[in-house]
Amino acid sequence: MTPHFGLPEFGFLLRGLQWTVLLTLVAFAGGCTAGLAVALLRTCGHKGVEWITRIYIGIFQGTPLLLQLFVVYYGLALTGLKLDAFVAVAIGFTVNASAFLGEIWRGAIQAVPRGQTEAAMALGLHYSSRMRDIVLPQAIRISLPATIGYLVQLIKGTSLAAIVGFIELARAGQIVSNQTFQPLLVFGVVGAMYFILCWPLSWWGSRMEARLALASQR
Amino acid sequence: MQDQILIEMQGVQKWYGGYQAIRDVNLTVRKGEKIVLCGPSGSGKSTLIRCINRLEAIQQGSIVVNGHRLDDSIKAIDVVRQDVGMVFQSFNLFPHMTVLQNCMLAPIRARRIGKIEAEATARRYLERVRIGDQAEKYPAQLSGGQQQRVAIARALCMQPKVMLFDEPTSALDPEMVKEVLDTMIGLANDGMTMICVTHEMGFARQVADRVIFMAEGQIIEEGAPEAFFRNPQHARTRQFLGEILAHH
Repeated sequence: MTPHFGLPEFGFLLRGLQWTVLLTLVAFAGGCTAGLAVALLRTCGHKGVEWITRIYIGIFQGTPLLLQLFVVYYGLALTGLKLDAFVAVAIGFTVNASAFLGEIWRGAIQAVPRGQTEAAMALGLHYSSRMRDIVLPQAIRISLPATIGYLVQLIKGTSLAAIVGFIELARAGQIVSNQTFQPLLVFGVVGAMYFILCWPLSWWGSRMEARLALASQR
Repeated sequence: MQDQILIEMQGVQKWYGGYQAIRDVNLTVRKGEKIVLCGPSGSGKSTLIRCINRLEAIQQGSIVVNGHRLDDSIKAIDVVRQDVGMVFQSFNLFPHMTVLQNCMLAPIRARRIGKIEAEATARRYLERVRIGDQAEKYPAQLSGGQQQRVAIARALCMQPKVMLFDEPTSALDPEMVKEVLDTMIGLANDGMTMICVTHEMGFARQVADRVIFMAEGQIIEEGAPEAFFRNPQHARTRQFLGEILAHH
């Protein structure tokens, strides 16, 4: 007989939710770290380095994420490097996120007025201090709405991890739905879980955007 | 030591692509001298002072600041920037820091001075530009004139040997011009070596030792303010003075 959607099924979805959150956190943390490096290299002033970074961004923005996950999971396995599904998708999402966040922050760094850098240089501040103390604090504020928007996309995008057999929230929902034949109920719950994660972030992002718009009017 | 040379520019040339911005400029600035640079817009006067602290690179010629030859090495640029303070037309205060933090950052980071000493120095210079009571505010909370005085204090905190002013009053509402000029006059009276790009001819008459007129990237004429204003030698200078003095 087919089981009904009950507490055990709900628990299974919750574990899927846990993996979704964990994968998002790892991908976002990794993407932020690598993305910062991408953004700094992309604006470093060295033509060769800027070109290489531009190509890197172009490749990961210009090909489907699904394809990138395939390459990391199956492609690396062919070279003898067998990765755990979680590790593989975490690497795939990190690299992909680094390209998108790197490009968002590149724009934000360049949006900080040139006069800020000039004043810092005139005061004798070195590159590291100019970035850490002057440019990045302002760039991060500028990029916050777009960064939060990307995070929301990332949360929902982690459902692609199911393709290499990783059981996160969407895949867990599919499994439960197949067992219970209650797709509307199950996917309703799954949808609500995504919504509870994403909506507060979106709300925070648009509030940040409104505040920034107000600040730039002054 | 009044004759000590602080800045020596020789045969300086600068191009932006095919456009020559600075043409064979020679300029010597001695300790304590106050120089006003004037000229029509696009004449290269801002570019020229921006070459002194290497915000702009030159293609030919040499610049020596306080005995240090400015070349492409980071070390030379560092040494020179420590000796040269700059005030910009658009203030360029750091908007995410308080007035006090604006003044403390460079001494701590570039001069490696302790926090307590840096704060004491910052407060002293903020008092000197008569803005000590605004130390905890953010730049956006101040008027343009106050912001520019903070920018002057911020530069002074690095205890520079020379101060460069790049049209410091051009972005200000008329009623705020005087407070900034008064601050600059005070600085001049204390013996600071200064190069000011400005159209404030009253200021030039009052404090300048030399007024230099530039056009098309060249120094056309220079002289003591009295002679410069009363009896300019070149037609180009007369035309320029006629244009700007007509408004005053």
